[in-house]
This record gives sequence, C-alpha cells and structure tokens, in this order.
Amino acid sequence: MSAATGELRKSCMRECELVARSDGLAAGLGLALLGVDVLAVAPGRWAAVPSRQAPIGAKTRTHRLAEPEGIVFVACPGDRPQATPGLLRTGKLLAAVRLGLVRRLLDLAVEHLAGRTTGGEPLLSKQLLSGDIANVIADVELLRVYARCQHDLAAMAELHRQLGELGWQVTKLFGAIGYLADYPVRALYVAVLVADTWLAGEAAQ
Amino acid sequence: MTGMDARLQAIRNATRVASEDLRARALSIDADPDAMEAHLDSPVFALMREVGTPDAYRESHSASGELLKHGASCLENAVGTVELARGDAAVALACPSPALAGVIVDLLGTEKQQELFYTRLHGGRTWTFFAMTEPRHGSDATAMETRLERDGAGDWLLSGRKLYIGNGARGGIGVVFGRTGPSPLSIRAALIELPAAGWQGKRVDTIGLRGAYLSELSFDKVPVRSDMLLGQHLPATRRGMWGAIKTFNAMRVQVAGAAVGTALAMTEYVAEHHKNATGADLVLARAQAARELVFEAAARTDRDPERSYLSCVAKLGAARVAVQTARWASSALGPAGLLEHPLLEKWIRDSCGFEFMEGTGNIQRLHVSRGYQAGDASV
Ligand SMILES: Cc1cc2nc3c(=O)[nH]c(=O)nc-3n(C[C@H](O)[C@H](O)[C@H](O)COP(=O)(O)OP(=O)(O)OC[C@H]3O[C@@H](n4cnc5c(N)ncnc54)[C@H](O)[C@@H]3O)c2cc1C
Repeated sequence: MSAATGELRKSCMRECELVARSDGLAAGLGLALLGVDVLAVAPGRWAAVPSRQAPIGAKTRTHRLAEPEGIVFVACPGDRPQATPGLLRTGKLLAAVRLGLVRRLLDLAVEHLAGRTTGGEPLLSKQLLSGDIANVIADVELLRVYARCQHDLAAMAELHRQLGELGWQVTKLFGAIGYLADYPVRALYVAVLVADTWLAGEAAQ
Repeated sequence: MTGMDARLQAIRNATRVASEDLRARALSIDADPDAMEAHLDSPVFALMREVGTPDAYRESHSASGELLKHGASCLENAVGTVELARGDAAVALACPSPALAGVIVDLLGTEKQQELFYTRLHGGRTWTFFAMTEPRHGSDATAMETRLERDGAGDWLLSGRKLYIGNGARGGIGVVFGRTGPSPLSIRAALIELPAAGWQGKRVDTIGLRGAYLSELSFDKVPVRSDMLLGQHLPATRRGMWGAIKTFNAMRVQVAGAAVGTALAMTEYVAEHHKNATGADLVLARAQAARELVFEAAARTDRDPERSYLSCVAKLGAARVAVQTARWASSALGPAGLLEHPLLEKWIRDSCGFEFMEGTGNIQRLHVSRGYQAGDASV
C-alpha cells in the first residue's frame, strides 16, 4: 500500500471491512487510519479518530453518540488540504469500514427480526422485508466493487453518500429499537459523522 | 400552497412566527430533555395547549388560538404543523399538551373523562401519553400483551410493559391500551392518572427527537377504576382499536407535516450558511412538493376520513424526503460541517425518527398498495 499515491491493495480494503464487521466502527477506523498523519491529511477543521489513536496533545471534542463508540474528533487547525492522494486512500478504506459495519448490523437486524412475529407469523417471512434485506446485501456487493474502482474524490464523496443511504436502509429494518442511543445501530449514525469529517463534499443527489 | 385561502394563510403566518420560539429552544432541549423548567412558560407551548383543548376546558383564549380552534380541520392542522416543525419538531413534541391522547379522549371519552383529562393539563406542567407499543409488539399492535384484569370488585388491574412512549415517564395523565381477552375487540383504552400504585416509567435515550422523551413504562397491577375505561358508552366495535386507528388516521398526516417542516428547515439552513450550495434548488423543490402532497392528503382526509391511501402516501413520501434532505445537507457544508453546525446535525438525527412514528415505511407501503388496488390512487 502506498499512502503517498493513494494506491491501495484489495486486501487492505478487505481487511478493513472484516475488522469493522467483527469488531465495529472504531476498530475499523483505527485500521483505516493506521499510518495516516491525521493533522496533515484531514480536509476539515475536525477529524474523527478512534479515541485511543488521538494524536498526543491534540485538542479534541466529543459527541454524545460518538463517544460511546470510542470515537473523538481532533482539531485540525490551519489551512486544510483538499485533494490529496492520502485523502483518497483514506476515503476508500473508510468505505470498506462502512461496508463492514453495514454487514455487522445487517446480521444483527436479521437476528433481531427473527425473534419477532406479526399476525402470528415470523416477521422475516414477510416478502417486503426479504426484499429489503436482499436490496441491502446486493448494494453491499455493488458498492464494494465501486469503492475499489473509484479514483477521484468527487466519486468518493458520491460513494459515501450512497453508503449513508445503505446504512439508513439497514437502520429502518430494526424499527424503533434502532433509534435508541444505546443500541448498536448507533454506529451507523456515527459513521455518517465520521465520513463527514473525512469526505464531505457536495455530491449530486 | 397553491390556492391557500386567507384563513390558511393566517394560520401559516401565525405559526411561522411561533416557530421561531421553538427553534430558539431546540439545542437546549436536545442537550438535556429533562431540563424543561426554562421552557414551560413558552407562549408557543401555551398556544399549542390552547389549540389542542376544547373551548369548554380552555384556560385562555388568544387571537391565534381562535384562529386554529380545537377540532380544526386536518388541513388547518397540517399547515400549522409544517410551520411549527420548521421551527423544531422535537421541541413541539416536548410541549405539555393534549397531543395524541387528546385525540382519542375526544373520540372515546365521556364528558366527565374529557373534563378530567383537560383540566389536569391546566398550568402547563402536565404531559400526556398515548401508550400502545410494546417491546415485543410494535407494528403488530393487535397482538399486545398488556392486560386489563378484573379486580373482583368491579374495577380493573393493568399489568404489562410499553416502550417508546412519548413523554411517558414524565406524564401526568394519558391513555394506555391493554386487552381484557384474546380477541382484537377486547383491546381497550384506559385513561390513567398519575401517580398510581404499580406504575413505573423511565426515559430511554434516543438518537434524535429527544424532546419527545420516549419512555419505557411498566405496570404491575395498576388499579384502574371502571369509569376510567374509554368508550364504555359506545358499541364494542367502537372502543379500543377503532379509536386507535381513527387517531392514527388523524395523526399520520401531521407526522408527515412534521417531516416536511424539518426538511424545509434543513434546506433553508444550508442555503443561509452556504449561498451556492450545489443542488439547493432541487432539494427545496422536492421538499415543497412533499409539503403540497401533505396538504392534499390532509384535505382528502377531511373529505373522507376513512380512506387512508393518500395520507399513507404522504407519510411515506415526506419521511423519505426528510432523510434525503438530511443526506444532502450533511454533505453540503463541507468537511466537518456537521460538527460546526450543531442545529443541522440535530435535525439530521431528528429526521430519521419520522420513519417509525404512526406506522413504519413498510406498513405505509402495505396500506398504499391496498389503497391503490382498491382504486384510491389519484388520476
Ligand atoms: C419518535 C418516536 C415516537 C413514538 N411515539 C410513540 C408513542 O407515543 N406511543 C406509542 O405507542 N408508540 C410510539 N412509538 C413507537 C412506534 O409506534 C413503533 O416504533 C412502530 O409502531 C414500529 O414498531 P417497532 O419499532 O416495534 O418495529 P417492528 O414492528 O418490530 O418493525 C421492525 C421492522 O419490520 C417491518 N415490518 C413490521 N411489520 C411488517 C409487515 N407486516 N410487513 C413488512 N414489514 C414489516 C418494519 O417496517 C420494520 O422495518 C414512537 C416511535 C418513535 C421512533
């Protein structure tokens, strides 16, 4: 992997996805940012990092939902760089992390729904829900390939917008339990905040 | 709205002014939904309470309250709701007012029950609740497990659990649904005044709409006098679930209006802070179209309250537009924009909540499909 050129091996993305799937958002983000000089690369005045990886001495701020996910925001003073190869690379790895997170929560959604019924039948037997689940996993497969193939920041911003939409499709599966602040779905809301610090750019709708 | 008459315009203007008060309170209530004392004397809260209260039980009579009378049409309410939500939907939900419980007390309550309910709200420090959802039964509410059992002396005992109940843990009076037997007709609505023995409530923390103060409630043989069951004077088919369904029909359009108001607020906020935000015109046009649809659905509900097709379409569409707008807004202000614009960040969290209120998206889709097959779709 070359942080300087933004080139990335498929295996790095795969590893980020697997770690996020098995260990969650902060673990995945930690891997994606390994070796990244956060203060030099981050495009905005704040950058999301795992709490344990915050640069020593840097000013940080917390967020009610991000803090319990083990994520803080590091102040990045001064003029911010915009289109660096390092940023493209981080965007790709972060996309892989978000895909892993979607898988993690899709697994949980299916588990949650398996214990629920409607009209005496398992909720999962409803075709509307099977269709929703199928759409999510099909989009995971598509966006994974898409993430590998994109080579500019505008496309990366668009990809992250789609990942936000994908996260929402999974969130909806849970019903109101997914709107509770101390439930694992919280990570999907925090992922939007994280991506906002690393990639927000104006994406077409 | 195209063709908005003078009366609707006056309602819109009055609620638009009121919405500024709500917005000023938004971040503070989001930060600490328990710290309400500083907000309870808000003139807008007084107005919302007045509007939700029948004339006979009103504490005050203001000019704006006269404009938007209790029992106003669904369309009039929708016009007001959009504007209030444009101020802040979560603050509106934090208001101690009759709200959803008021709708069912009007529908199923005797005069005595209505008097008890509405006079308990005087002073503006009493929240109400409408407790239907349970941990194991949300969309499938007719399978609820909360029980109303005879106490052997002609009254009832309420036992069970409810979850996600707006203002439940701080409520003073409200409605709880429970079943007296296995059939759907045995589901009854009980008016409960607190404190009551065997009642426990605690707030559950939510991602957004924190002013709604969602709560978990548990009941261990809470005594319910027989004259506190709603609908006792009505035929068995017009009591519990019938009242709930009528309430949801009336409220669905209002939730859609709240989603649209939030979408408009986000769009306008971005436009104000980033003059040339890409796509702003498109996003605004979409939110305005959703508002138009909400008003059409409200007008249709006024004409034909039993047909829910268009109100379901409006709720489905408005909830979607709110989330789409949130997604656009979150990228429009540049890197770390959400951390630098906490009000926008809050609305983005809030906008997700509408999906689950008054029927999830999938439940609306099922109703829409049924309505379409029944020939209810517009030409
Ligand atoms: C902000 C907010 C305020 C609320 N206020 C109140 C309140 O004051 N009082 C109250 O009683 N409740 C309230 N609720 C709860 C709300 O009514 C429920 O969340 C809603 O009914 C859905 O139930 P559930 O969350 O258990 O989801 P579930 O019913 O478990 O649904 C889980 C998933 O399955 C899908 N699904 C369910 N049934 C079907 C089906 N037949 N076919 C296909 N898909 C299906 C849903 O769309 C969802 O994706 C509130 C919720 C929120 C978020």
